[in-house]
Amino acid sequence: MTWDVHSSMLRACRRFIFRLRRTKLDRELAEELDFHLVLKEQSAGELARPQMGNMTIAAEECRDMWSFLRVERLLQDIRYAARMFLRTPSFTAIAVLSLAVGISGNAAMFTLVNTLLVRPLPYRQPDRLVRITGIFPRAAVPFFRQRTRTMDVAAVSPGSAYNLTGEGEAIRIVGSAVSANAFAVLGPSVARGRIFEPGEDSPGRDAVVILSNSLWQIKFGGDPSVIGRVIALNGINHQIVGIMPPAFSYPSAQVQAWVPLRLDASNFLAYWGGEFVPLVARLRTRATLDAAQREVQPLIGEFRKTFPYPMARDWNRESTAIPLQRDLTGDIRAKLIILLCSVGLVLLIACANIASLLLSRATSRRKEIALRAALGAVRLRLVRQLLTESVLLALAGGGLGILMGMGALSIFKSLLPPSTPGLAQAAIDWPVAAAVAGLALVTGLAFGIAPALSASQIDLAQAIRTGSQRSTAALWTRLRGGLIGAEVALTVVLVVSAGLLIKSLYTLSEVRPGFQAQQILTVRISPNSSFCTERPACIALYDRLLEGARGIPGVADAAIASTVPLDAEQPDLAVDVEGHPKSVDHPAPMLWSGAISPGYIGMLRIPLLAGRDLTAADGAKSAAVLLISASAARHFWPGESPIGKHIKGTGEQQWRTIVGVVGDVRQYSLSKAMPDWIPGAIYMPYGQAVQEDGHIPPAMTLLVKAQANTDGPAREMRTLAQEQDPNVPVGPVQPLEEVVAGSIANFRATIRVFISFAAAAILLAAIGIYGLVSYWVSQRTYEIGLRVAIGATRQRIVSMILAQGLRVALYGIVAGVIVALAATRFLASLLYGVGATDPLTFAAVTALVLAVAIAATVFPAWRASRIDPIKLLRVD
Amino acid sequence: MGTELLPGTLDLLILRTLVPGQMHGYGIAQRLRQISDDVLQVGESSLYPALQRLLLNGWVKAAWGASENNRRARYYTLTAAGRKQLAAERAEFARVVGAIEKVLNMA
Repeated sequence: MTWDVHSSMLRACRRFIFRLRRTKLDRELAEELDFHLVLKEQSAGELARPQMGNMTIAAEECRDMWSFLRVERLLQDIRYAARMFLRTPSFTAIAVLSLAVGISGNAAMFTLVNTLLVRPLPYRQPDRLVRITGIFPRAAVPFFRQRTRTMDVAAVSPGSAYNLTGEGEAIRIVGSAVSANAFAVLGPSVARGRIFEPGEDSPGRDAVVILSNSLWQIKFGGDPSVIGRVIALNGINHQIVGIMPPAFSYPSAQVQAWVPLRLDASNFLAYWGGEFVPLVARLRTRATLDAAQREVQPLIGEFRKTFPYPMARDWNRESTAIPLQRDLTGDIRAKLIILLCSVGLVLLIACANIASLLLSRATSRRKEIALRAALGAVRLRLVRQLLTESVLLALAGGGLGILMGMGALSIFKSLLPPSTPGLAQAAIDWPVAAAVAGLALVTGLAFGIAPALSASQIDLAQAIRTGSQRSTAALWTRLRGGLIGAEVALTVVLVVSAGLLIKSLYTLSEVRPGFQAQQILTVRISPNSSFCTERPACIALYDRLLEGARGIPGVADAAIASTVPLDAEQPDLAVDVEGHPKSVDHPAPMLWSGAISPGYIGMLRIPLLAGRDLTAADGAKSAAVLLISASAARHFWPGESPIGKHIKGTGEQQWRTIVGVVGDVRQYSLSKAMPDWIPGAIYMPYGQAVQEDGHIPPAMTLLVKAQANTDGPAREMRTLAQEQDPNVPVGPVQPLEEVVAGSIANFRATIRVFISFAAAAILLAAIGIYGLVSYWVSQRTYEIGLRVAIGATRQRIVSMILAQGLRVALYGIVAGVIVALAATRFLASLLYGVGATDPLTFAAVTALVLAVAIAATVFPAWRASRIDPIKLLRVD
Repeated sequence: MGTELLPGTLDLLILRTLVPGQMHGYGIAQRLRQISDDVLQVGESSLYPALQRLLLNGWVKAAWGASENNRRARYYTLTAAGRKQLAAERAEFARVVGAIEKVLNMA
């Protein structure tokens, strides 16, 4: 028989029409059959009676043909299931909600993992892109480009701040300097205009800029005619040549513009020193990642020899080529996986709970099911009915879960660095929704199968005769105990994780950051470096600002500093230290270097440990002085007084004299003092200060100590700064306390998520234990009644039930503690000041979970003790 | 009692019976019996479902008309698709029967 899609479609259509006209068809068929009978009787005089059965069968078979039998049976099952659920609203709500909690977390995490770890990067042939780890001077770009056989190499510097002026209010944007071939290597096409042309990274041709879509929208309102227009970046004119599409972000989502990275061999300092840049590359056709990796170290070795000054032998010894995707997600991969595991646990707990709920429901429905079996429902049909119920439950939970997942996603997003490329675009999409729906279905089948099988295994005669709940398959009861035990175990793991994180946060909040942030307001002022080519101009600007700020009503004190603690600036300076000659193995040490006004140390209550503070006398024209931090003093002059010793920047002629030692300040992060390669900090008076490029730092933060907690000083502070020069961008006014809190906002949010996971887990576990024990009690009502009747005291009944509930909880807790001991070390990267197996946390969590278990057991146990034996025995 | 039919052959036989012209259900059953010398007796429980199946597939169409005894009867007519189906099924049937004969006649 020929069978194609077309004819089967037609068939389905006709069937549908038949279905709609079923009553009419029924009538017609009856008439037709009647006619048949009459003729039959007439012709043969046969007895028609015995043939009546035939007619019924014929009619029935025809009727089946007019309907979508399977679909209708399914609809029937669904209607029935829905009715059952509406009749037990609290059961339904608990089941759907607990599943929704589990699913929503998973939907959100799937989305993040899919967007960030799985989905290919939005570049051409992203699997061919690699990052050469480590950072390199600009000279390395042409070197690598000429020498490598396996890759096309480009440089893309991480974003740094640029002043954009000449277009309305001056603003501060994040720009990335890239070699001219960077876009050709990465392979995105511009939305408008063109990418950089070869050679546009050489001096004289590099006055061009490519805008990100967001900057184009914000600053130019998406005006297509901006191509060719000239804007000033850090005071230097650049022509806009291109605009990137919205989806493109590299090296970070915060970059708003790309300018050429000037490759000028004649500018010795910038070419060999200056800011080192990361290298990215595209594997050439037929080159493998392996080949590229083998090439990197020999090339670095050769390149090291071409440095005009000695480099450490182990310089970039660890460098290799890694896939770009791994580079981009390196830091967050661990966090994502931890979160994914946690939501997985919550879902598992939810499933165990629902399975156990359904199991007990199936048992209490034995009589109903037995009745249906007796009326002729086959086992398959019963199982299908029960599975339909659980799948329906799962889908309801899944649907609600996806809705809640959208909320969860925005919370999870806040846990990751906003600069992560692609993060902003992460949204629950069809593939993820489909995956979640699949997960819900599988969950539904998984937690439906055991109860369905359990319920359909019924000894008909006995169940109907008594409707008894005494005869239960012990296996299923044990299974239920096992489920709840596992649930408790998983809960312990999650709660321990949350506990460790809470303890970390507590430790972190107790950290002495080395300064006091109370009552201090900050605002960032960032003139172009060209503004500060003449040092006195800049010094005068800040003198004016300081003076003005001190005049604001309500301001007790004012100071300036090139960075404030925890503001994410990293002013490293390579220095020569007196008595510590450099060598190949000991290159110039890097120090955190701040430029400050005299009042700064006192204003932040940074303790002065030795010598003197800076004073107004330490101006531009007086002898060069500096303060050093206690750790720097210990590092260079252990057991000696550093006062009177000398330090200078590597490019400088004049030594600077150390006049004082101040306490260490947590400049980089609350959790760590300084990176390993920075032994300490120095503070120079602003008038004498230099930064890496040998110039005075142009961008400074103005700090004021405001007595009153009002908006006045903040507003006046900003106005004051803006009045100085319309071309100088002024940032928002931020209390220093906010800056400090902001530095661990990420961590706080992570903890909040873990707490909510743990809370959900505890709640689910409590429901699970409560359900289990109530079920036991209802199963054993008769037995308990009998015990009471023969003299058992109420206390005895309570302790009997309690013991039984707690046994399951204890097994769970012991298993959970063992799993947690093994699992929490994966959390280590998130912890601060607390071991992954902190005994105190483990003990506290064990006590907490035990208390919850007792609470969940007490109520059903108390109810058991109220059982009235007289009533009970009379009824049964 | 009639002989059991090979599965699927009833549809073929009904289609063939309708080639000369329209016929009602009882008529089809009678004709099959006559032609086959009472060998093929089709019961109502298979005839009417088969007719519904043919309707559903669009191989026959049905219309009410007056019968010989002046009662309303449903008459079935072969459609173009039905003719095509008949030809196809006939060829297939011949092929199968030929094959069966071959097996039975082997040396």
